[in-house]
Amino acid sequence: MLTIRDLSVEISRGERTVRPVTGVDLVLHRGETLGIVGETGSGKSMTGLAVMGMLPGGGVVTSGSIDFDGTELVGLGAAEYRAIRGNDISMVFQDSMTSLNPTRSIGDQVAEPLRLHRGASKRAAAQRAEEMLALVGIPRPSERMGDFPHQLSGGMRQRVMIAMALICEPRILIADEPTTALDVTIQAEILELLGDLKQRLGMAMILVTHDMGVVARHADRVGVMYGGRLVETAATADLFRHTRHQYTQALLSSIPSLVQDKALELFSIPGSPPDPAEPQVGCRFAARCAAATDQCRTQLPLAVEGPGEGHLYSCWNPAGETAPTNEQRRFPQAAQASGAARLQVVGLHKEHPVSAKGLFGRRRSVKAVAGVSFEVRAGEAFGLVGESGCGKSSLGRMLVALDRPTSGDVLLDGIRVSGVSARRLGSRRARLQMMFQDSQASLDPKMRIDDILREPLVIQGVGTAAERTDMARDMLSSVGLGASIMERYPHELSGGQRQRVGLARALALDPDVLVADEPVSALDVSIRSQVLNLMRTIQLERGLSSVVISHDLAVVRYLVDRVGVMYLGVLVEVGVTDDVYDKPAHPYTAGLLAAVPTADPGFAEPAGGRVRGELPSPLDPPSGCRFRTRCPLATELCARVEPGLEAVGDGHTVACHHPLQPKSDEAPAQEVR
Amino acid sequence: MMRFIIRRVLVSLAVLLGISLVVFLMLHLISDSPGRAALGQQATQVAVDAFNREHGYDRPVLVQYVDYLVQLLHGDLGRSYKLNENVATLLLQNAPRSAVLSFAGLALALVVAVPLGILQAVRRGRLVDRAATSISYLLYATPSFLVGLVLIGAFSQTIPLFPAEASQSSSPWVVFTEPRSMALPLITLAITNVVVFSQYQRSAALEQLGMDYIKVARAKGAPERIVLTRHLMRNAITPIITLVGVLIPTLLAGNLIVEAVFNYPGLGLLFLNSLHREDYPVLLAYTLIGGALTVAGNLVADLVVARADRRIELGA
Repeated sequence: MLTIRDLSVEISRGERTVRPVTGVDLVLHRGETLGIVGETGSGKSMTGLAVMGMLPGGGVVTSGSIDFDGTELVGLGAAEYRAIRGNDISMVFQDSMTSLNPTRSIGDQVAEPLRLHRGASKRAAAQRAEEMLALVGIPRPSERMGDFPHQLSGGMRQRVMIAMALICEPRILIADEPTTALDVTIQAEILELLGDLKQRLGMAMILVTHDMGVVARHADRVGVMYGGRLVETAATADLFRHTRHQYTQALLSSIPSLVQDKALELFSIPGSPPDPAEPQVGCRFAARCAAATDQCRTQLPLAVEGPGEGHLYSCWNPAGETAPTNEQRRFPQAAQASGAARLQVVGLHKEHPVSAKGLFGRRRSVKAVAGVSFEVRAGEAFGLVGESGCGKSSLGRMLVALDRPTSGDVLLDGIRVSGVSARRLGSRRARLQMMFQDSQASLDPKMRIDDILREPLVIQGVGTAAERTDMARDMLSSVGLGASIMERYPHELSGGQRQRVGLARALALDPDVLVADEPVSALDVSIRSQVLNLMRTIQLERGLSSVVISHDLAVVRYLVDRVGVMYLGVLVEVGVTDDVYDKPAHPYTAGLLAAVPTADPGFAEPAGGRVRGELPSPLDPPSGCRFRTRCPLATELCARVEPGLEAVGDGHTVACHHPLQPKSDEAPAQEVR
Repeated sequence: MMRFIIRRVLVSLAVLLGISLVVFLMLHLISDSPGRAALGQQATQVAVDAFNREHGYDRPVLVQYVDYLVQLLHGDLGRSYKLNENVATLLLQNAPRSAVLSFAGLALALVVAVPLGILQAVRRGRLVDRAATSISYLLYATPSFLVGLVLIGAFSQTIPLFPAEASQSSSPWVVFTEPRSMALPLITLAITNVVVFSQYQRSAALEQLGMDYIKVARAKGAPERIVLTRHLMRNAITPIITLVGVLIPTLLAGNLIVEAVFNYPGLGLLFLNSLHREDYPVLLAYTLIGGALTVAGNLVADLVVARADRRIELGA
């Protein structure tokens, strides 16, 4: 249906010319889902945009052809291309917040392609739009037609985007990271919806993503891109079972999974992806490849037919059947976390006031955190997982005294640190540090790296100027960075380097507690594993107590000893990581685990049911158990009585009336007298 | 919404009260005595004192201020002793002419600046954009009286297309009834605003052009004309609405210069003449009206922006 042959794209901006796509061959068959996987800058999105004829300013297709059912798209006239775009070939983009026009109603926006391409009347288009909204699972679509994008949740907006792309019943849908901005539970629903609609409308789909787990579950065939080239393409099962290209294999090995051995260091690919502006010689992956030879560095590998039908790979030294293990080392057994609690959280609440509705409306507040208690022992790593909006980040900020709780306390070694003025907090402030998600935004762009690292020392009055410089150098080397970057500015570093600087800054004052809020979410897979290993190592070496906050269950599993699952501001399950992941007691935990896409096409979805629907508003949480509105096991009791945390095993507690694991007979573990 | 408006009106009244107090005190400080100002330098001290006593100007300043406020509440803006006329009557005579000129100038500026700014954004870095930006900066740096004088020199004296003086008719609608005589004042007024608006519009449009919904509109197969008018325009225009609201008092000041250059009998010219005549009640009233317009302009802009962009909730 779509045949791409030897496609190359060049983008020139001023003096600089980049080649984001070089010599890509791809075929999309009728009714199939083709996954294109790759990291940032691999050229996967640019390939999609090239098919749409929508390359960014300065971009041109320099060679090759894109054949769509007999029509050559390269060099097609603007008007002819417009007639195809949104009509025969549609695209869904990643960020549904910015992808919808904020000033026009969603009904209007969904109807627009129909009016453009079919010349439909306003009323006919609106009617069809309403049908589409129903088809993509928007409840009561007739009432939603006049809504504006900001009134919908992220998942609902992405459904609107899909309705908009499909209203003309295109033959090809290109979905560019359609679920990256969404929570795992919503992601699973959206991907299923896409698969279902594909069947019903008989279209073919190109699924562009960085997530191996997503393609494993939802693509029929997969193309892996690296540095602008397609390095391997095969049927999904074939690709995962008989991986040939060294990059594909290294990438698969560096993804933390829900089942791997935690004691073993995660495989990681050294270095960072190539600069698309650099001239290309040989295999693009050679510089980071453990198996690279001189031939790899000088000669471009040609596509070779692989073991299965239609399996092509471009690698001089194809990988064997076993996963690479060479550089992996075993982590030392963590010293048994000592009994005393370093960080105690007692009945923490945080409410954000929102403006009242109407002139005499009651003032309302969002209960971001609604009564959370837990403790972290010295040297222990504690994880907090949950969907966005569950209050985990609000909680994290209170842990390091960046925010004041509405009520409740945070204690460090038994001394209160919450709700204390900055002056009285004094040096205790230094013992609590935070590592942020967005290293770009959390490092001052006008400060050099050495100044960023020395600043906390200056504030706390540590050492002389010369000593501080030495300390900054040591900090950098402890996070695997050379002293050469000390004079650079944050924007001159790569994402992985910046996140390392963020970690070094947090460690500068040798804190007792490190709170890491989504430490690797912004990083590419190959960089992610490097940072995860570094965090593990530092945690063990320094005997830090850490709190890792993430929506990524695999990341949390890899980093922490104990984990707490948050839902709408409360902890619903707490326990030793392995217990919680292997024997989830709360239906929500089980549902979250079931929704995680695993990079293994044969992986059977665990029983226990999916979490359906969306997070209720924290303005007005459900009565009784907050999860009951989405719970398959909910009963009348759940609506009446809010369950407290009760033990289901050694140190494993759950707040549920109908837990999936039998409750221990002993007295409630965390009863406060 | 209602809650927001009520709050804002209350706050606005407080602001106006503050402005009136400051202006009242300032005028009191710079003028030696209203009697002297009213009767002139030739009048005897006895006559001046008698005038002051008769009109209550010998009482403490604050009492006079309260008195003035009470008058204000009755719609009485005081009396110009120089022109022997009620200030309110004077303002009412001149205000419509200024308002029509201002709004015509504003409309002209927007009609030119919005498309120009969007064109510049779409053609970013090309010749059109660079030329427009350079000219904008040049004109922005030129005071409007100079713009007016240059225009008079060029289009009234060198090429006698338009008269150098604005219409002296008492009708407020001269902009429409005598377009030839009002062309130069209108253009002078518009030029200054076009320069500011188009640069704002350019950067606002650039920001919006980078948004994904523009990409989505193109992906729908929408022609560029529709992408720009249906999708870009409404989003890119909100900063301009705010700007116009904030600029309303500046428009008034712009009027002052244009009215002086072209001798157009409006509020600005009245203010200027009152300044020369030391006619304090008129100056006081003019300043208060400026304050009221500023406050009202901001409020209206906020309401319009909230209407155009539904994401904005009018909070406290």
